Amino acid sequence: MDPLHAPFDPVTLAIPFFVLAIILEIALARFKAVKAHYETRDTMASLAMGLGSNVAGLITGGLAFAATVWVWKHRAFDIPMTAVWAWVAIFFLEDLTYYWFHRLSHERRFWWAAHVNHHSSQHYNLSTALRQTWTGGVAATWALWLPLAFLGFPPAMLAIQKGISLVYQFWIHTEAIRRMPRWFEAVFNTPSHHRVHHARNPRYLDSNYAGILIVWDKLFGTFQPELDEETPRYGIVKNLNNFNILRVAFHEWAGIAKDLAGARSPREVVGYLFGAPGWSPDGSRDTSATLKAQWEAEQAKRDAPDVAA
Amino acid sequence: MLIQLAGSFAAVAVLVAVAAWAKIAKPMSPLSDARARALLADEFPGKTLDGLWIATDGRGALARSGASALVLCEVGDGYAARHIPWAQALSASFRDGVLRLDLADVAAPRARLAFDAWPPAGAR
Ligand SMILES: [Zn+2]
Ligand SMILES: [Zn+2]
Repeated sequence: MDPLHAPFDPVTLAIPFFVLAIILEIALARFKAVKAHYETRDTMASLAMGLGSNVAGLITGGLAFAATVWVWKHRAFDIPMTAVWAWVAIFFLEDLTYYWFHRLSHERRFWWAAHVNHHSSQHYNLSTALRQTWTGGVAATWALWLPLAFLGFPPAMLAIQKGISLVYQFWIHTEAIRRMPRWFEAVFNTPSHHRVHHARNPRYLDSNYAGILIVWDKLFGTFQPELDEETPRYGIVKNLNNFNILRVAFHEWAGIAKDLAGARSPREVVGYLFGAPGWSPDGSRDTSATLKAQWEAEQAKRDAPDVAA
Repeated sequence: MLIQLAGSFAAVAVLVAVAAWAKIAKPMSPLSDARARALLADEFPGKTLDGLWIATDGRGALARSGASALVLCEVGDGYAARHIPWAQALSASFRDGVLRLDLADVAAPRARLAFDAWPPAGAR
């Protein structure tokens, strides 16, 4: 097998399945067999983001690929693409890399700017899965996978495993499936876990970063189960107020540029770029942490209402 | 390559058409006072409202909370909310029954709310 060029791309192969699955979800919801909501302009925005993401990938993918090949040529070990153990190893290592990529993409604004569009829909359906970034190449998050190339995993193998992960994550973007069997929920990322990830309820913010395996969240303390008493509300903390696709793709970058133009010190530049999303010099804006704290204070008040009485 | 792109465009068009045909957006009805309060409580936990004005078409609302104006506006089958200084909301342009608010945010630049009069009685 050619170690540089994958003989197939899992995502391309899965596209007909994506299309059929979306039609099926819509049809089942139309006849009230499952829960799903589709708003026409929202659906159009999500699918256009998916399409544009592929085009953007063609433009910025070259550099990422060249860097991966260069690192792999200077690899530490020779890992054969034909060995079963190598596929088992890359399954776990790629998924671990994905977890940290995804966590970084939420917790630091520069990378959030590239990832926010995946979360900017107030809907959670299979079309939301295809709402992919246009600016991931610019944010250079592909560099996080370079250590795997350095270990010796061939670029083709990395490409295939990344594709498998993306295809896996398609089907979990649905409200049609409530819970998977208990053992499955314990090990794998599921519709339930990922609904929490897409929710803007304060108690659900910044959790469930998993790709395929939910165990990483449990291991690193970011796991939050979906609670029956707290229905997820989807979207971002400050939702977009129109469906303009350029706004979907670039609004956080524009926000960063605006903030940098008004920055008054190197500390502010660093904060606006690499602070948590919502960071501001005087703390006047909301971050996930402040929203969670506000929510917890509210809960405490509600739970002990008679202190003053 | 181009064939693939054309095929993708066609697939997107078909899916959007199917979504439009199904009419399965979240059901929307004009905002009631209670619904607006519930939405604002989700958006701004812990903020008490000193006044609340629902747009005449029920597609948005504006509330006063201390020195802030809390703005809620319909977007598709959902809502977006922002807060701006109350003084700015008071002095915003009001013409032909529409209040135009500058939200100063790239992600939600402007809001348009229908009111009979602005500022409303008792809002100063
Ligand atoms: Zn995410
Ligand atoms: Zn997602």
